[in-house]
Amino acid sequence: MSAGVTSSEELRIDWKIQEDPDRMAAFQAHIDAKGLVEADDWMPHNYRVGMLRMAEHHANSEIVGALPEGEWITRAPSLRRKLALVAKVQDEVGHGQMLYRTSQDLGKSRDQMLRDLVTGKTRYHNVFNYPAPTWADVAMIQWLVDGAAILNQKSLAEGSYGPYVRTMKRINMEEAFHFKSGEDMVLTLMSGTKRQRQMAQEAFDRWWGPCLMFFGPPDRESTKTGPFMTWRIKTATNDTLREAYVDRFAPAARALGLNIHLARKNPDGLIAVKADGTPDKIEDPLIRLDESTGHWGFTQPDWDEFYRVIGGDGPCNKQRVALRRFSYEQGRWVRQAVMGCAGLPPSRN
Amino acid sequence: MQELSDKLKAPLTDLLLSIADDKLMLGHGASDWTGLAPILEEDIAFSAISQEEIAHAAALYEVVGTMHGRSADAVAFGREPSAYRCAELTSLGDDFDWSRAIVRQLFCDHFDLLRFERLARSLLKSVAALSKRIGAEEATHVEHADVWLIRLGRGGDESKTRAQAALNALSGAAAMLFEPTDGVDVLEREGIYPAGEGSLFDRWQEDVGRVVAEAGLTLEVVPSPADAVGGRRGRHGESFTGLLDEMCEVYRVEPEAAW
Amino acid sequence: MSKIREQFQAGEGELASSPEADPKAYEVFIQLTRGQPHVHTGTVDAVDDKMALEYARKHYGRDQACVHMWVVAREAMISAGYGDDIIWPLTDQDYRLARGYAADVRRKWEQFRSKEDVDRYQKEDIKDAF
Ligand SMILES: [Fe+2]
Ligand SMILES: [Fe+2]
Repeated sequence: MSAGVTSSEELRIDWKIQEDPDRMAAFQAHIDAKGLVEADDWMPHNYRVGMLRMAEHHANSEIVGALPEGEWITRAPSLRRKLALVAKVQDEVGHGQMLYRTSQDLGKSRDQMLRDLVTGKTRYHNVFNYPAPTWADVAMIQWLVDGAAILNQKSLAEGSYGPYVRTMKRINMEEAFHFKSGEDMVLTLMSGTKRQRQMAQEAFDRWWGPCLMFFGPPDRESTKTGPFMTWRIKTATNDTLREAYVDRFAPAARALGLNIHLARKNPDGLIAVKADGTPDKIEDPLIRLDESTGHWGFTQPDWDEFYRVIGGDGPCNKQRVALRRFSYEQGRWVRQAVMGCAGLPPSRN
Repeated sequence: MQELSDKLKAPLTDLLLSIADDKLMLGHGASDWTGLAPILEEDIAFSAISQEEIAHAAALYEVVGTMHGRSADAVAFGREPSAYRCAELTSLGDDFDWSRAIVRQLFCDHFDLLRFERLARSLLKSVAALSKRIGAEEATHVEHADVWLIRLGRGGDESKTRAQAALNALSGAAAMLFEPTDGVDVLEREGIYPAGEGSLFDRWQEDVGRVVAEAGLTLEVVPSPADAVGGRRGRHGESFTGLLDEMCEVYRVEPEAAW
Repeated sequence: MSKIREQFQAGEGELASSPEADPKAYEVFIQLTRGQPHVHTGTVDAVDDKMALEYARKHYGRDQACVHMWVVAREAMISAGYGDDIIWPLTDQDYRLARGYAADVRRKWEQFRSKEDVDRYQKEDIKDAF
């Protein structure tokens, strides 16, 4: 069933390729009519590559995204939280599995994708390059980052590639659990002791900026009209999603008693401290509802930081990739062993 | 729960804690693989097993907590190290060596299955019913561990060597799984923890031995001397205390707070 | 965090090992309640049937409560449809569908019986099929 693109040479975007005009027209018409493309269908080379890149990047993000919270599995403070956190991180691995599978059917082997990830040839979502130094970060990740992921994935579920769209819908069902569990943790902390509320505020300060960056840099005109938009590989612009995000989370955070700060960060991703020992942060002066537009104002995050982190120089880039690499290298003998003794029949009907 | 005489309460608490603590530590160690296992699908499967171990522990802590008027969380996280009843094997780290994780699981799962077989026949109805349910899931853990050991044993030189090394490394600690908890003989006599045919140790050796043989590997477990004192009576090594400190790191920040 | 997550040793640069082959794809179909049809839910990679069933159970059997599943090697599946491979005939198929008769029959009944009588009579019809 999988289409036969295999060599990585063929997996590059190439706008010079001349596709058959009749097929192209029929393909575009099918997409314009809200039709879905299936793995076996004819598709333009650049559609295949664009879709593969997106699904692969998404898959990478899921399994790297399992790492920051994974650090807290052994320290979760109650039996229920421990179970929920293990299940949540397990879900992210499951999302990765499904998305790698989708990508495999677009023509790249899973092994090659994992190898490219651990040698830095491909990327994953920037947000996972930030540290999670306290338990409250787990709460904020599940509320703010999974909340951002849901928004993004809801729009991706409107896309045109059937296997990816179905995977998005499935994933969103599980994200709903992550998000609710995150809300529950944040609410618990904010109705807890002074120390717990402070932990929550500090974690919020660390995650608010990265979450604004989550949706990518501000749109240029080209991104709103490019082929990936007309093919419905991408379905909403970065700025639209960011605006929707702030509209939802800024008032919710304030209602909980969380302040939205502009904070200066150290290279390790922690909030810098002033000479007097207090955190170097001020309240974002733009956070307020604009009655005329119905949208919340906010200060743009530090886009220089964004490009620096994406370029590899973030607080946790090295550590995240290295841990994935460790897992890949450490697991090699196991994968070889199972390949070497295939053929056991199933024993439960 | 049926009324328990004071004579039985302490031994039953120890027995249930020995099982629950084993499972919590084992599940804790296994859950650390989530996101890092050698194969993505296996990552999900092994994580599911770790969740079941922890969930089984939680169910048993609930029972113990009810007996003593404490919450399951307080029982799980709020005791002095010497009040834990787990065997050392369950808290031994695996250094992310898959063969060690599998062998640790193999030893403990087979042992648990035998314990739950007994408890499922307990005269304490509630414990018997719970044990039947847990035992059914335990059987799937046993199958998972068995199949993995066989795959590793038959999967070529490197994996065979590693699997054998893991069996050798953990066989010493395996013997201490069988250290009796205080007063277990009373529970056996009263039908609360009915003994079965043959000793636990013999049955375990037979069950595990069959799998080890099928995998083309060998195992020798020398029974511990009857007077050896270990985790079942609260004597723990560094592997346990280190693990417990890590597990309780957040809980201890504000033990009274909700998290 | 656990010591190993802090203190692991990973290599650098290109990987020393050669690429590995992916195992086989297996398709997974789950049944949510007894009596309902099995529905395709996803795919797992596995080296053999035993592993495929185990992985399907633990992955797709757990994110929704389900009672039964089928797992089948993709290589054992054959498929038809889309594009030039026509499954549903292109000629008018009304003659073999209830909806091809619904309007005519209704009109004809009304020559024999009152509207209300026909309504009452047609209440038993399987609505989805018309
Ligand atoms: Fe996810
Ligand atoms: Fe998530």
